[in-house]
Amino acid sequence: MFLQTFGEWLYDTPVATGLRETTWVIPAVQSIHILAIAVVIGSALVSELRLAGVIATDEAPGTVVRRYLPWIWRALIVLLLSGTVLIVAEPARTLGNTVFWIKMGLVLGAFVLTLSFRRPLLVAADGVVSEPAKAIAWLLLVVWVVVIFCGRFIAYT
Amino acid sequence: MTLETTLQQVYDLPISATIRENVNAFPLLESLHVLAITLVFGTILIVDLRLLGVGAHRRSADRLIRELLPFTWIAFALAVVTGSLLFASNAPAYAANREFQLKLVAIAAAGVNMLIFHATAHRKIAGWDLDLPPPAAVRVSGFLSLLLWTVVIVLGRWIGFTLDVLF
Repeated sequence: MFLQTFGEWLYDTPVATGLRETTWVIPAVQSIHILAIAVVIGSALVSELRLAGVIATDEAPGTVVRRYLPWIWRALIVLLLSGTVLIVAEPARTLGNTVFWIKMGLVLGAFVLTLSFRRPLLVAADGVVSEPAKAIAWLLLVVWVVVIFCGRFIAYT
Repeated sequence: MTLETTLQQVYDLPISATIRENVNAFPLLESLHVLAITLVFGTILIVDLRLLGVGAHRRSADRLIRELLPFTWIAFALAVVTGSLLFASNAPAYAANREFQLKLVAIAAAGVNMLIFHATAHRKIAGWDLDLPPPAAVRVSGFLSLLLWTVVIVLGRWIGFTLDVLF
């Protein structure tokens, strides 16, 4: 299978070997990865709960989204970069792992949902949150929680 | 009763054995622990950055703190419960782990920093509630909190690589 061959090739590259043999690299990159997840979770929690009408209802949804959306994007970039380093160091742990691909699918889904339902709010600063957007807000919080569970379970499957 | 016997008694508890023996128990507890930590750090980050002078979604620091702190506390309680269960499953090994010991010290230091903030600058919050940036003492509290919680997360991840008992 292509992925397996690619994973084996990647595992043997000098970069991957170097990452594995320098003992502090993987825990350090994983720490950065968790810190970036915390940024996404904190930003998503406040944004989604505002859109769901639970907190900060005295502030316009556009104000809240405008404050935290750039943080979610920046944190996602850090997550993609640190995640890539972790894949390069240990390809077999991820590329051949179903949980890893479920996680990637969920992250992509969360990305698309965030993009499509937040952009309109950025344009209309004091716009009212539609009912579907409220449901999407709760759904996104659930998706991020499942992403965290998948992330931890990658190490065990 | 020495510390060693107490740790061994914790290790021998039925719930500790269950966590060790059930394949899904440990990763499930770890996932909940990570979720709790990201909620603690994510919400504290917003407050700490506001204390450092980076604007949040509302101007009032007092209202921001009262809005987000309940989430921080609930998540912290979840982190303590899940962390205690993870600890119980291998009590002697965790207690002997340098990173685990340092992590507890860092959490205690973050707690002391918070207590000092609440006993001093927070009492006079009406005077700087809308200030961006807030007074220097407030910024120091915010900076120390961010630094200590970052250290807590890094040490926590390191435990997974340095713990003597792996299963």
